Amino acid sequence: MRWKKLGKIFDPTQHTLPNDCIQFAQSPQTLVFDDFVRIYFSTRAVDPRNGKYLSHIAFVDMKKDLCEVIRVSDKVVIPLGGLGCFDEHGIFPMNVVRHHGAIYAYTCGWNRRVSVSVDTAIGLAISQDDGLTFQRIGDGPVLAASLHEPCLVGDGFVKVIGDTFHMWYIFGTGWKKYASDAPPDRTYKIGHAVSKDGIHWDKEEARQIITDQLGPDESQALPTVIKIADRYHMFFCYRQSFDFRKGKGRGYRIGHAWSEDLCNWTRDDDNPLIEGSPGEWDADMQCYPNVFECDGKVYLLYNGNEFGRYGFGLAELQT
Amino acid sequence: MTITKETEHMFKWKKLGKVFTPQEVEGRSWLKEFAQAPATLVFEDFVRVYFSCRPPADENGQYVSYSAYVDLGRADLFKVRHVGEQPILTLGGLGEFDEFGTYPVTVIRNGDEVRAYYAGWTRCESVPFNVAIGCATSGDGGKTFTKLGTGPVLNYSPDEPFVLSGPKIRRFNDVWYLWYIAGRKWKVVAGKAEPVYKIRMATSHDGIYWTKQNKDLIESRIEEDEAQASPDVYYANGKYHMFFCYRYSSHYRGKENGYRIGYASSTNLTDWVRDDTKAGIDVSEQGWDAEMISYPHVFDLDGKTYMAYLGDQVGRFGFGLAVLDGTLA
Repeated sequence: MRWKKLGKIFDPTQHTLPNDCIQFAQSPQTLVFDDFVRIYFSTRAVDPRNGKYLSHIAFVDMKKDLCEVIRVSDKVVIPLGGLGCFDEHGIFPMNVVRHHGAIYAYTCGWNRRVSVSVDTAIGLAISQDDGLTFQRIGDGPVLAASLHEPCLVGDGFVKVIGDTFHMWYIFGTGWKKYASDAPPDRTYKIGHAVSKDGIHWDKEEARQIITDQLGPDESQALPTVIKIADRYHMFFCYRQSFDFRKGKGRGYRIGHAWSEDLCNWTRDDDNPLIEGSPGEWDADMQCYPNVFECDGKVYLLYNGNEFGRYGFGLAELQT
Repeated sequence: MTITKETEHMFKWKKLGKVFTPQEVEGRSWLKEFAQAPATLVFEDFVRVYFSCRPPADENGQYVSYSAYVDLGRADLFKVRHVGEQPILTLGGLGEFDEFGTYPVTVIRNGDEVRAYYAGWTRCESVPFNVAIGCATSGDGGKTFTKLGTGPVLNYSPDEPFVLSGPKIRRFNDVWYLWYIAGRKWKVVAGKAEPVYKIRMATSHDGIYWTKQNKDLIESRIEEDEAQASPDVYYANGKYHMFFCYRYSSHYRGKENGYRIGYASSTNLTDWVRDDTKAGIDVSEQGWDAEMISYPHVFDLDGKTYMAYLGDQVGRFGFGLAVLDGTLA
């Protein structure tokens, strides 16, 4: 298998976005309709109280050629959480799944802390209007830190297989100060949980399902899973936990693993491999993958440089 | 003279006075003030009372909170025999749920070990704090505890979005019960976020994996945003008795809107009938508990039923005892 890169397909700075958002179209997540593809992403507004970012969900509808933009959402898709709630300061990412005529959205909610910058947890919101707007099932999360997953539970990706909901997500293993003059950095790994109703989840509790390529300080994020022939394939992004924003060769790249039983995963980043193109929009970084099938083809959406400040691009799987 | 139904059935608590004053303890930098949320473990010749305390506030006026214990003489509870040399739990690591406090704590014997459930505190940007419930065990009779993990055993969920605190652990009929409080809203009062919380319950077969009941147990009485805490459950005479405390949602740091002790009863641990007129304990005319009383904990000792509770400023100056005249029926 190999990826054929099709280039950047959406640049948020070329469109008017809801919530006064100006840049960033991060972690694209698709919902395929009969005649178009809706791509949710996280974009950012500036919090007028302190100049920090707030991540909001928006979407773009594209024709099935994945070239032409039909429209960009002009209303609030889901408001941020209330005072003191887990998703008060941002939703990033939001994974969408069709279930019984509704659309379930698993949100990764962000809330700011004092000793470390942030914590996250996973919420559930449901849409009854084909994904234009979503309503939370409650103010709190469905998946949060637990006995052996002390922080940063997020990035849920859900698939219903048979009569079981499967969620791949990330959990923080801890925060660490790597240099005396640097703020604390976090490390997270990919885990797995199952559910019968999509609301009550059983975690495997801190079982890291994807082996490290970069050692214990590897952070793994945004798992996305697709079945091709008899195998499940997972794509995710991984990086060094420290000095990953500017450090050369330390930023996000896209990894891959496969499984035949949804339990044991074999990491195999090189097959298929996606690499940045020198001088292009994804030269320095490739992150936040989302794989999906559309009209018999398998596609990969992902972000490039600066964590998706200037949008996302597409690749098509060649078998 | 007419005796009303309420006074007829009201419990009669005789106040014995303040039993422990943290300001009198010497040589412990982490124990300068507060002795909050007393919880007892009875030994052969002493009663170990766990409480939560604080070193002085930091330069920003912010506190961390530790839990510790004092051993009181079993024959004379007003005889302080020993104060723990160290906190029973360390604070959590960077970014963990209990980085800034382990308060309050509740203990129970489980075979040869003592198990503690405690509320862990972290600091947030938009609101002052958040709280979740952790678990730890002791193999040395409750002197020191080791956490079961670096995360909580009870955390936020759709109906309980924040501030899970005030755990009280019990076991009835081989089922573990955890009563606790869950935040309902942060109410902004005079520019400050104040938490509103309600009494909740979860059950478990091992004390580690919990099933939440997802229900308010005690109906609010003084106002919709009444905050309820310290749900202390005690079984006597075929009934479950709960003493708890409650306060108004704003301006609650003084006498008028501050904590009082309430009461509810249940026959099945799930459905509770509140009747504060039965509680039988209120603020005093004067003295250490004249402004507020809170964080009740009821325990049996040598044929008597006692209540440990906090007085003014939610236990800044320690806790006291009352003894029941009669039984809880």
